[in-house]
Amino acid sequence: MVANGDDFTTRLMNDMDPALLDFVKAKVNSFIKWDLVRFFYENPHTADTVENIAKYAGRNAAAVKPELEEMAESGVMEKRDVEGIQIYSLAENEHIRELVDRFILACEDRHFRVKAVYHIIRGMR
Amino acid sequence: MDRVQTGIKGLDEMLSGGFLPQTANLVEGAPGTGKSTLGMQFIYNGITQFDEPGLIITFEEFPQQYYHDAAEFGWDFGKLEKEGQLKVIMTSPEVTRLDVESVGGMIETAAAEMGARRVLVDSITQFERLTQDPVELRSLEYGFINGLKREGLTSLLTRESAALLGEAPERDSSIAFVVDSYLLLRYVEIESTIRKAVLVLKTRGSDHAKDIRQFEITDQGIEVRSKFEGREGIMSGNPRRMADSFVEAFVKR
Repeated sequence: MVANGDDFTTRLMNDMDPALLDFVKAKVNSFIKWDLVRFFYENPHTADTVENIAKYAGRNAAAVKPELEEMAESGVMEKRDVEGIQIYSLAENEHIRELVDRFILACEDRHFRVKAVYHIIRGMR
Repeated sequence: MDRVQTGIKGLDEMLSGGFLPQTANLVEGAPGTGKSTLGMQFIYNGITQFDEPGLIITFEEFPQQYYHDAAEFGWDFGKLEKEGQLKVIMTSPEVTRLDVESVGGMIETAAAEMGARRVLVDSITQFERLTQDPVELRSLEYGFINGLKREGLTSLLTRESAALLGEAPERDSSIAFVVDSYLLLRYVEIESTIRKAVLVLKTRGSDHAKDIRQFEITDQGIEVRSKFEGREGIMSGNPRRMADSFVEAFVKR
């Protein structure tokens, strides 16, 4: 039986390191999250409020807040309360830091980026 | 008395050996005078020459900019971070203030885990956005500085000055009164060339050089050189030869 075009594309796009494929599908499933992961990779000891992180990323705070919340739930980010103010920072977890490093380094490859974009767009449907 | 040496050629001599331990030290200057470079060098030398790990707290400049700028001088901040001797923390004044006041905060934890002895705060000017009230600002800055001292840190705080040459306009900040030492970096115009000058205005509980010295930012960082000989009015930004001043004062009358 000949695979149809969609199946072929899916197989091609799934041809990624399984850990990174899962990272993209489950944790970096939007372009804002991708931006944030890159920002925290480049500036790993940043710890701040939603409003300030949004400024650093050049984004709107209302758009960044739910993304940071989801990243905190998925373990990529840590959220802590300091006298009523919510502070977000990249998780100290070594496994997460290693995944972030691998993801950003993999993004230097155009083919990987195309696949990551494909999965993010599919996830947004 | 023990000193926290900056390791910067010529500067420790101006400071009678260096900063006093667990003190807050202000470096003020116009954009490009070398405040951040001096601060980074203080941290880098602390780690590599004196085995004193350090923190950099930045309120505006991205940490990646520090890694880049440091690399220009051959200082590998990324490597020092991986070795656990340096942490470049980006945050905001409002978060930092609350963090320092709280038990088990990010700065307290980092200082304890790394055994940090030095901190660069770049720049303390950003605290001015917390309040318009000068009395409250002084109280906030005083509390923050004491929190850093409590953690055993010798701090170098940078402060922006709006004046490129000559007198800076007055503004409501009393940080100069709160800190233990106060260094001024200035541009000076001499014969159509811009040079840089450093002056130690105060060191609490210690003697310091009173002269105004030239400094340069070389490919290895800041080097403080000799004082400006035969000139006066250096801090005006437009110094005159001493002989010209003498003629003006005595001969022309």
